[in-house]
Amino acid sequence: MSDQVCEVSPIVADDDNSLPVPGSGRVLSAYLVVQVCLFLGLVWKWWYFQQADQIYQQISISDSFFPDWLESPRVVRWAYLGSLAGIILGVLGMLPWIRQVCAAVVIATLGVLLVHQASYNDMTFATSLWVAIWTFWFSTRMERDEPAFLLRRGAFLARVIGSMILLGGAVGKWTPEYWSGDVFYDIYFRDRDYWVFNYLREHTQPETLRTMATWYSRKVIVVETVVGLGMWLLPAKIAAAVGVTIFFSIAFFSNNLLFSVLWCLVGLSAVGFFVIRQPAAEQTQ
Amino acid sequence: MDQQSPQRGRDPLFGLILIGIVVVVIWLMLMPCFPGLAAVTLRRFQLRTDSFPLWAIQAPVPSMYNFGNRYEVRKIPEGLLEPILPPPPPRYINHFPTRAMTFAFGRYVHLHDGSDRWITFWSSYRGQTLETKVHLKPVGEGRFEWLVEGRE
Repeated sequence: MSDQVCEVSPIVADDDNSLPVPGSGRVLSAYLVVQVCLFLGLVWKWWYFQQADQIYQQISISDSFFPDWLESPRVVRWAYLGSLAGIILGVLGMLPWIRQVCAAVVIATLGVLLVHQASYNDMTFATSLWVAIWTFWFSTRMERDEPAFLLRRGAFLARVIGSMILLGGAVGKWTPEYWSGDVFYDIYFRDRDYWVFNYLREHTQPETLRTMATWYSRKVIVVETVVGLGMWLLPAKIAAAVGVTIFFSIAFFSNNLLFSVLWCLVGLSAVGFFVIRQPAAEQTQ
Repeated sequence: MDQQSPQRGRDPLFGLILIGIVVVVIWLMLMPCFPGLAAVTLRRFQLRTDSFPLWAIQAPVPSMYNFGNRYEVRKIPEGLLEPILPPPPPRYINHFPTRAMTFAFGRYVHLHDGSDRWITFWSSYRGQTLETKVHLKPVGEGRFEWLVEGRE
């Protein structure tokens, strides 16, 4: 891909005369922000997964659809812990090859979680997997590419991933059940114990609440569609601000548990904030 | 730039990831236009894809709060007794309606007493609906067998 494709907004570095050394400075900071957010998302429901682990030990379901090992409670437990260990070792390891091996381990363990009978439905592992793929790629380039170039590419890939994930949410809602608001009314407005919906139930009439559910649902569809189609085209810093705001607000205004799905995308979006302005000579190349 | 400086070297992995994303986006954008593609996702959500590998390869496709998914859980087989009062309408669930039985607290709530359960799942998208009936049969020591009894 040419540099032109990855061109982003002119963002001023702290000091254009002292661009960071590969694998350090802003590059390392971007890597760390993504890792911290990925880790935060995975441990966000720690208590939930802990109790789920006990349930899987006590109650097992034999379904011929899944291979036996992907019904095992041990596999889901160790895959989950392995993903956390991979992130920690990758951050502490510092050496490029350790980061790369750890990122590959995180991809593998999240891949297992994504197809395990006990966790396939949890979108935490789908979004985390895409972020882990970004991490693996980034870790293979940290010591090799020019920092400014790598950060522009990293930010571009980050917003392309963010756009795809939003689009995935949007397309699945282009259906009457969501446009009418029926699904969100049933899942959230009717009886979900969360501050937004508790407040609305206490302060509005039932018929008004139902109408609000319709417009809430349509707002979600429009935002996911527009941002999903357009975010990847935005300049890096603007896309970063949009991505961080959107992904944070989706969870904040609907469901605390959704932060497990979205922290990693908040971190990935933030990569755009680290983009450095290209030296003038390079901009003209 | 001298040879000691970092380079903009070949980066096939970057291109490979972008290709993967483009494939996913094309898949997503075609889904509303081609009922056959939507049907593949309907089957994905109800664990009814023809084979596990075909299902697993779709796992990275993002699908947060997709389709109109509902489920109903019964303690007796459907039609065995006519209820005096009509049952409440089935509740919606965000995606993968099967999660109501397989995932964490849903598994506990419905199966901790060790009794049979009969479940119906519905998934709808732009006029298409897939329905699946499953019997969760206890086989002892907290184990259940997932038996698909009805498909539409």
